[in-house]
Amino acid sequence: MSSPTSTVDLKDASLLARLQDLVAASPVPEAAISEVLQVLQKARGYIDEEALRLAASLTGLSPVKVEELCTFYSLVLREPVGTHVLRICDSIACHMAGAQDILTQARQHSGVDLGEVSRSGKLTVIPHVCIGLCDRAPALMVDDQALGPVDTQTLTRLLAQLEADIWKPS
Amino acid sequence: MKHVFFLDGQEIPFIPGQNVLEAAIAAGKDQQIPYFCFHPALGSLGACRQCAVKIYAHDSKHPPRITMACLLPASDALQLATLEDDVHTEHREIIELLMTNHPLDCPVCDEGGQCHLQDMTVQTGHSVRHYSGPKRTYRNQDLGPLVYQEMNRCITCYRCVRFYQDAAQGEDFGVFGSRNRVSFGRLEDGPLESPFSGNLVEVCPTGVFTDKVFRHDYVRVWDLQQGPSVCPHCAVGCNTTPGARLGTLRRIRNRIRPEINGHFLCDRGRYAFPYVTANSRPLQPRLMGETTRQDAVLRQLASRLEEGRSGFLGSPREDLQSNLGLFALADCLHAPFAAVTSSWAEALAQQCLALPQAPSLQEVAAADRIVVIGDLDSIAPMAGFAVRQALRQGAALTVLASSRTELAQKGDYRPLRPSALRDQVAQLADDPCLQGGRFPVLLATAETLGPSGLYALRKTLEKLPANARAGAFVNRPNLFGAAYFAADGHTERLQQALRQRKINHLLCLGADPLGEDWGAGTWRTLAPGLDGLTLLDMVDSETARSAETLIPVAAFPERAGLFVNYEGRIQAFSPVYRREAQVLHSAVHGSGFPEAAGGVKHPLGPPPPLFWLGRLAEMLHLHEAWQKRLDFYLHFLCPERPDPEGPGVLLPDTIRARFEIAAVPAARAVTPEQWELDIFRWYGGETLADMADELHSLAPARGLRVHPNVQAAAATLHGPCGELRLPVIACAEMVQGVIAIDQEGFAELGLYPGDPVEVSWEQRQ
Ligand code: SF4
Ligand code: SF4
Ligand code: FES
Ligand code: FES
Repeated sequence: MSSPTSTVDLKDASLLARLQDLVAASPVPEAAISEVLQVLQKARGYIDEEALRLAASLTGLSPVKVEELCTFYSLVLREPVGTHVLRICDSIACHMAGAQDILTQARQHSGVDLGEVSRSGKLTVIPHVCIGLCDRAPALMVDDQALGPVDTQTLTRLLAQLEADIWKPS
Repeated sequence: MKHVFFLDGQEIPFIPGQNVLEAAIAAGKDQQIPYFCFHPALGSLGACRQCAVKIYAHDSKHPPRITMACLLPASDALQLATLEDDVHTEHREIIELLMTNHPLDCPVCDEGGQCHLQDMTVQTGHSVRHYSGPKRTYRNQDLGPLVYQEMNRCITCYRCVRFYQDAAQGEDFGVFGSRNRVSFGRLEDGPLESPFSGNLVEVCPTGVFTDKVFRHDYVRVWDLQQGPSVCPHCAVGCNTTPGARLGTLRRIRNRIRPEINGHFLCDRGRYAFPYVTANSRPLQPRLMGETTRQDAVLRQLASRLEEGRSGFLGSPREDLQSNLGLFALADCLHAPFAAVTSSWAEALAQQCLALPQAPSLQEVAAADRIVVIGDLDSIAPMAGFAVRQALRQGAALTVLASSRTELAQKGDYRPLRPSALRDQVAQLADDPCLQGGRFPVLLATAETLGPSGLYALRKTLEKLPANARAGAFVNRPNLFGAAYFAADGHTERLQQALRQRKINHLLCLGADPLGEDWGAGTWRTLAPGLDGLTLLDMVDSETARSAETLIPVAAFPERAGLFVNYEGRIQAFSPVYRREAQVLHSAVHGSGFPEAAGGVKHPLGPPPPLFWLGRLAEMLHLHEAWQKRLDFYLHFLCPERPDPEGPGVLLPDTIRARFEIAAVPAARAVTPEQWELDIFRWYGGETLADMADELHSLAPARGLRVHPNVQAAAATLHGPCGELRLPVIACAEMVQGVIAIDQEGFAELGLYPGDPVEVSWEQRQ
């Protein structure tokens, strides 16, 4: 659900209307929080302080509650990311199938720490909890696309495609 | 019928509804079942997996299996075992898992010596860590001056967040992250906002949250002198355990009292204690500003009293015996006595006392229809806590106040000016907000309602179903005790005697008639007629600074005494430690104290008021008569002396009935065009608490709180006794037409909550 960091204004009328519709369609306002965050993340690239507080006021949750949710779900981004986000599963099945090597390789390629934006601005590598592809371990997600099993060669190819902006989701 | 289950072959009694762990702890068997996430007041969660027991089914189909004691409802004849190898292994391995990331920092951890994690680790026999990888580390947050955080010590039992969010219903604390990267704290650094934040220190079973004030003057808990005491900072009278070392008070902890505070305290109760160690605290007798000897000050005072031109002023801030001692001395000398500083406060006390038996906080928590009048959290925070517990059980809450308080946000808020509030209270009997419930309860902040409002409350109560109850709260520990002698017109007679020059000397106990007490404006105009004022007190105040004679007294944890709380519950407290004070060596002579060995460090700090009063009675050759009267009053009020370890004793209803006929002064009429005053307080504010630096650093700014539609930068209020000029603070939550000021402001003006006031606004530049 990530997208390049953009700067859609939170006061944008159509964005606000969309968020309000989501809340209105929900049985209780609080229940709309995940969808509200998804829409906000799509629009902004990540959930910044302003977006967090907007989500809180729309749903009637306290900012602390919203942050609890954001930090629990690793799909929610609280920091800016690169053009593409690589989420590499490091839970048990993938760990057993060599996720650590994949993670190390991707991190080295990015040249920065996990979670940071590579110098080219193209890539952010994030370790991730089980994405439900244990049967295809080690697995990862490129933006919204799941991939697996991944070995060092497929990863090298993938990274090159991402850098060259020629990667296409299947 | 007696219910029991079996744990390792031993009978464990239980009450239906209890879980196995709860019953085992109650039976003193927690040595057999280690636990973390269960807390008697927060319930079970099943998160830590530490409380394993083995259950033997009574059939042939189910093999014995390990299960969590905190999630297993106790039932008759249940067969459980812990003294088996697989249970031991489970205990040891779970704690090893919980300890994976725990730092080896017990020697520098404030929790050491009182740490549940330490105890459980030793108890289960985990002593070698197999994990040798890097440990997870956190950046700690600065949570303000009261609570210290060291996140690396967390074992994720979730007690803190269950306390803060569920029990205390605070919104600025939460749990963040997932998996093994979970942390507990605020969204960003900054002081915790809940009036109950200090309880984190006690609910956390490890050293993540520790007492930041205790830290300043820390000792290991096994070196602390501790004892049963009662919180002196409001009328609830929560039970506390002060801890002292080398003659100074270091901290306050909760003492479990199910009827009142349960497992918790408010932050005022926990963090106000540094008034005892404040530099400004008087420790030596002072005569005309000069430090003097005890015998000299007593001689001077005795001769003053012999002249027969003294009046006596007690205080709801002082304990029952001291007030009675003062009253008895006044009685022996046929001198005028008042227990409170103004006729308004006297009427207020009488109306509080005339209310029928108030509900205990335990009962409040079981109410299903609650009306709160005024800002309860700011007067008696634990009463607000009890309301929150009732809300969790589905109680319907209605809040009548002149501003949207935190409690008001949790219920149905009715914004009202104080005058309208009084009218509304008179109508409450037929109000839908109290209909249809099983157990309706009304809780009022006495000052906001005023004497006539409290009278209306009593009348409303008479029209409600017989089980409906009401309680009135003040931020004084003993209004209900002091006021027994607030017979009609006492205060007025004392002031009259001064006006008519029948008296020219005032002996005050724990009062601040020239500073912030109710009616101080009047006292200030009378002060020129005084040829001397003597004050017995434990804190510095306006009155202490202008008193000719200042006599220091022992602080509450330094002496024994009795407080009567808002329910009329008489509770005893014991001396926990002896204050050490530097005194002039010669001052010891003739004081009745044994001489200190080895020089200037006198082992005894200031003596309690009763000591001084007894000595005075002796010097006036009235001791026998004084003692007799004192004993008589004491016996009259509490024939049965409460045990400091017990739940206290309730005043008999017959004693309350005397106040039902007290005169009720009418409230001053207010027109809708007039500005009306309400009182502004905050949960950490109170005379003694204001001397506690850390707590006081959180106090909101002083000012005139008004609705934001007022466009002024400052204003001057005009009252009969003086003027008050303060900056305007716009408060979105205030009702229009109301100005909220602090008690000092009222004292300055000579006005009372609900009074109309003249205002001159100063426009912004
Ligand atoms: S901070 Fe303390 S109370 Fe909170 S989860 Fe960790 S160990 Fe438990
Ligand atoms: S509610 Fe009152 S008595 Fe209880 S701890 Fe707080 S200040 Fe003390
Ligand atoms: S463990 Fe990696 S997808 Fe499930
Ligand atoms: S105390 Fe039972 S699982 Fe934590």
